[in-house]
Amino acid sequence: MIEGALWRRWVFYNIPLILFVFVLLFPFYWMIVTTFRPDGELYLPWNAPNYMPFWTNNPTFEHILYLFEETNFARWMFNTMFIALVSTLISLFCGVLAGYALARLNFPYAGGLGTAIFITYLVPQTLLFIPLAEIIRNFKIGDTPWALILTYPTFLIPFCTWLMMGYFKAIPKELEECARIDGASRWKAMIYIIIPVAVPGILSSGIIAFTLSWNEFIYALVFLSSPDQKTVPVGVTSELIRGDVFFWGPLMAGALLGSIPVAIVYSFFVEHYVSGLTGSVKG
Amino acid sequence: MAKTKRRNVLKLAGTAAVASMGGMAGILATGRMPAFAQQRTVHWLKWVDFVPATDALLKREMMPEAEKALGIKINLETVNGNDLQPRITAGIQSGAGPDLIMSFNSYTHLYANSVVDVSAIAEEVGKREGGIFPYAKAICSNGKVYMGMPWAVIGGMIAYRKSWFDEAGITKFPDTWDSYREAAKKLKAKGRPFGQTLGHTFGDAPGFTYPYMWSWGGKEIDASGKVVINSKETVESVKFMQGLWKDGMDEGGLAWDDTNNNRAFLSQTISATLNGASIYIETLRKPDQYKTEKGTPMNKDILHAPLPKGPAGQFGFHLLQSNMLMKYSKNQDAAKEFLKWIHAEANYRKFFESQKGFATPCTVKWESDKLWDVDPVMAPFKVAARLGQAIGNAGPPDAKAQEVLSKYIVTDMYAKAVQGMPAEEAVKWAEAELKKVYV
Amino acid sequence: MAVTSLPAAEGKRLSPRLRKLEDERWLALALLTPTAVLLGLFIAYPFFEGVMLSLSSTRVGQPGEFVGLKNFHKIWNDSIFRTTVWNTFWYTGVTTVFKLALGLWLAILLNRHFRGKAIIRAFILLPFIIPTVLSTFAWKWMFDPTFSVINWTLFQLGFITTRINWLGDADLAMTSIIIINIWRGVPFFAITLLAGLQTISPELHEAAAIDGARPWQRFWHVTWPLLMPVTLVVVLFSVIQTFADFQLVYVMTGGGPANATHLFATYAYQLGIGTGLLAEGAAISLAMFPFLFIIVVVQLLYIRRVETR
Repeated sequence: MIEGALWRRWVFYNIPLILFVFVLLFPFYWMIVTTFRPDGELYLPWNAPNYMPFWTNNPTFEHILYLFEETNFARWMFNTMFIALVSTLISLFCGVLAGYALARLNFPYAGGLGTAIFITYLVPQTLLFIPLAEIIRNFKIGDTPWALILTYPTFLIPFCTWLMMGYFKAIPKELEECARIDGASRWKAMIYIIIPVAVPGILSSGIIAFTLSWNEFIYALVFLSSPDQKTVPVGVTSELIRGDVFFWGPLMAGALLGSIPVAIVYSFFVEHYVSGLTGSVKG
Repeated sequence: MAKTKRRNVLKLAGTAAVASMGGMAGILATGRMPAFAQQRTVHWLKWVDFVPATDALLKREMMPEAEKALGIKINLETVNGNDLQPRITAGIQSGAGPDLIMSFNSYTHLYANSVVDVSAIAEEVGKREGGIFPYAKAICSNGKVYMGMPWAVIGGMIAYRKSWFDEAGITKFPDTWDSYREAAKKLKAKGRPFGQTLGHTFGDAPGFTYPYMWSWGGKEIDASGKVVINSKETVESVKFMQGLWKDGMDEGGLAWDDTNNNRAFLSQTISATLNGASIYIETLRKPDQYKTEKGTPMNKDILHAPLPKGPAGQFGFHLLQSNMLMKYSKNQDAAKEFLKWIHAEANYRKFFESQKGFATPCTVKWESDKLWDVDPVMAPFKVAARLGQAIGNAGPPDAKAQEVLSKYIVTDMYAKAVQGMPAEEAVKWAEAELKKVYV
Repeated sequence: MAVTSLPAAEGKRLSPRLRKLEDERWLALALLTPTAVLLGLFIAYPFFEGVMLSLSSTRVGQPGEFVGLKNFHKIWNDSIFRTTVWNTFWYTGVTTVFKLALGLWLAILLNRHFRGKAIIRAFILLPFIIPTVLSTFAWKWMFDPTFSVINWTLFQLGFITTRINWLGDADLAMTSIIIINIWRGVPFFAITLLAGLQTISPELHEAAAIDGARPWQRFWHVTWPLLMPVTLVVVLFSVIQTFADFQLVYVMTGGGPANATHLFATYAYQLGIGTGLLAEGAAISLAMFPFLFIIVVVQLLYIRRVETR
């Protein structure tokens, strides 16, 4: 686009870009360094001499070991994965069906329903968690993963629905018409023709829903109690912020290891994630 | 239909996964009884002890012992002290949670409707051990029932660096607020300020601000329940605090929680702070890690002193811990058995000794225990349970007083003033807030 | 109807037109039922309950009675609540402006071809992907009053001589959480705006350049208007999320120092779950809703106006 001297390219493009990347990624680097830094080096005040914050010469695994031995970290990972997967599946199921209905079918109040689903996104979680606690208590699912699996879809479904609406709207009507002319009911046309075509959209919704599940905190904080039921964000917050003793090492280890699964899953679906994000905005 | 099939598969998979997770949670979720006789379990939620050795002792030795002796599986969970209240609320609301929850101060009054009466246990232990101190009784009982079983009192004293004080020419720890401020000023000038948190923490902040206010003559309410915090004495105390903060305190203290002052002290950035004995005990635990700048072990350089005197006297607000048995619990008998067991002298002694004086038991007999003679540095903590003044001065330490404490009104009054609000305004603000509670 | 390889249609034997109508509505009903059930049970019903709660005097363990608007009156006179309202608006406003500006800048920087573009694009989304609580801890450690690496760096570079009290000073604490929120949100803005930029045909820019427009003018008159629809939607999403933010403040400051960083959600939590004053907590959360609603409606109207221009 902009031609010019090499220095102009560097000053206007490359250097700002490098700065952005650095700022965006530095906290993760910091997480990594702190995880492997021994306690003795960790707790040096900011103006102590000989302080080398950006690298350590004595990497240690003691924090990671502590994390796995003294806390239920492995269990938390399992819980969070399980909850995220099942919530995602449920939300995808509902979102795909609802998205199709709202995008392709004509029926009264379609617009109103779409808006209603949108409005639910605005309802703050802090208003809902007390009444929800009571519902959870009545269903006797307090302190189990099901408390979250059934409540996460409340914010995942609206998102999945919009995304899928966008994707479905983009599929030409001719595809469906052909199928119907061939004798299929709307239902069959949907299952066998439209949905397979919308698979990229489903993958996008799925990966976004997955990351949103991992990111949820308030409901997990309020509805889960036993140490072995907790999710990673809640576990790390409640069990690694401790009394007067130093736990930043395991805390960073927990933060690091807790981020890795999401990052890995995301890395397989980057394209889908990006197209999902942008699709939701355009749609 | 494909839809219902899919749903069933999901449900089935979910159930299988949940059942395979095992444990109480899995059983609860599937709603089925396991084939074998149900083992009784008790879930005890306590704070993360500031003396790590105690939690290690409890988890590794005492809980297995209890299991063997009582046939009950004890699920011991520790959380950060600030998170106890939210857990209690969440538990009560969702009808599920720990059976025994540790309570701080007057939570017992605040949640009185949701706990089980434990008078039987309290009275038995009290009779056996020479009586429960009035301080503990006022907080754990409302005269008719015991809402919580008193556990221990965490004494708060000022831990200070003897050598640094000596170097600054202060040989006796200051016992009035004026001399305290002078000392702080001198030491801050040398880069060794005093440290105090004015943040939203359950321990060190109220542990300082309440007795500080009382020592100047300020009170939250009078005996009839009228809000009297807006008095000349309180305003004086706030003005003094503003000066004290600038002259002698580490100004990061506004953001500190209960652990920051420990870390600051141990990394030698402050010279004195109000704390439980955990700083000292930590230096005893790792003498090689904590050395003074001269290379000597820090634990030889720490002494404890009570808060200085003010115009109205000398006060200390020591955190009272008790255990509440929640009404929603399905294991109340087992929990009571466990409580009895852990208060049996042989067992409680193990806890007491692992604390090394950090916790002072609530009954008279332990005051004369020989543990207090072992280390003179810890001796001041012996009388914490006897001398503690409870919140809601000069009224009872009831639910309203606890609400005031949970809202950090007194601490915020000082925090605001220190951040620039005029003293009179800060006190007026506190008065308005208090009036909303003591309505 | 001729029967073909596809399975035959089910349904009643009505006239074709009626059958289609029945089919579609029945189908829509069936398709929307799971969503309706889940959202109805776990949002609509609790929302109603929440509203009733805010009109009562319930505390934890103590069922209350109907007290009308007393809670709202109480929180309106609560100075902490007023601080919270101001904080939330300030927080949302400042972060959105910066996220938009920086995100746009980053999007423009990425809107070229260069080696490693795909990898960089994947990496810079990390702040947005990683669970907020976990990345906020890393920041908390970076801002720690005694051990801050940021202070260390500034000290080494000679910019400061005494420590910056990031979390202990009211304004700095607010600045800290604003920084972290911006850090988290810039990738979201950047990636979506990038997609928007990529739909703008380069020929438009070339045409403008030929007409003598400088880069800045090209941006203002070509890029910006075409980007407007996407921008508005992104801003809408971001505002909704930021306004209701909880995790970031909860982990970093807990609302302190002295309530200087409390947002609606954190204050509602502290009052409701922390102190057990459930009804007042609900009132605060409910108070969030009208503000949010108005902001959203205004933005939606603006979007519609822009789209139909």
